Amino acid sequence: MAERPSSKRAARPAATAPAAPHAARPLALVYLLGWLIPGGGHLWLGRTVKGIVFLVMLPAMFVIGLALDGRLFPLTPGDPLVALASIANLGSGLPYFIAQALGFGAGRALAATYEYGNAFLITAGLLNALVIIDAHDIALGRK
Amino acid sequence: MNTTSHLLLMALFAGCVAVVGGVLLKDAPRQQARTAAEIFGSLVGAALVLGWVLYFFPL
Repeated sequence: MAERPSSKRAARPAATAPAAPHAARPLALVYLLGWLIPGGGHLWLGRTVKGIVFLVMLPAMFVIGLALDGRLFPLTPGDPLVALASIANLGSGLPYFIAQALGFGAGRALAATYEYGNAFLITAGLLNALVIIDAHDIALGRK
Repeated sequence: MNTTSHLLLMALFAGCVAVVGGVLLKDAPRQQARTAAEIFGSLVGAALVLGWVLYFFPL
């Protein structure tokens, strides 16, 4: 007996069909923009609301991390854990370079909030990496 | 930042991660809010459970 699709099921494929890839948007620029400006890739691809949320939340996490006396770790290849933290910090993009240029991010290990600050700073960079991957999927029309 | 309340800072961290995670994982606003609430609850709940477990098994 042939299965009769319900109206709800029939409507689903059209609603979840992958969007057309953004052919005019070079992927490298999506990555670069998304890295330098958190949410910038989404904004460029027309996902305005998502882009604005990322643009507000990720730099806010970065600033909170600095305010909590967190440290922007230097890239030291001899110390793998510090190097990993440094790479995660770099994921924040422009806020990282601005903070470095202004002399923020020295960290104060004796502060009660030092580890919380590091958690905020590192997580902001790692979340931005996930945001860039999401922008990549949108650019390819997978979402 | 003046606060040193671990609970407040943990909740703030969980809130930030939850908002970004919800918006990242879902497209519809309702689903985003639900996912964000789930992430927030999971993070705070897991931290509280682990905190009490460590209370009974101190290092």
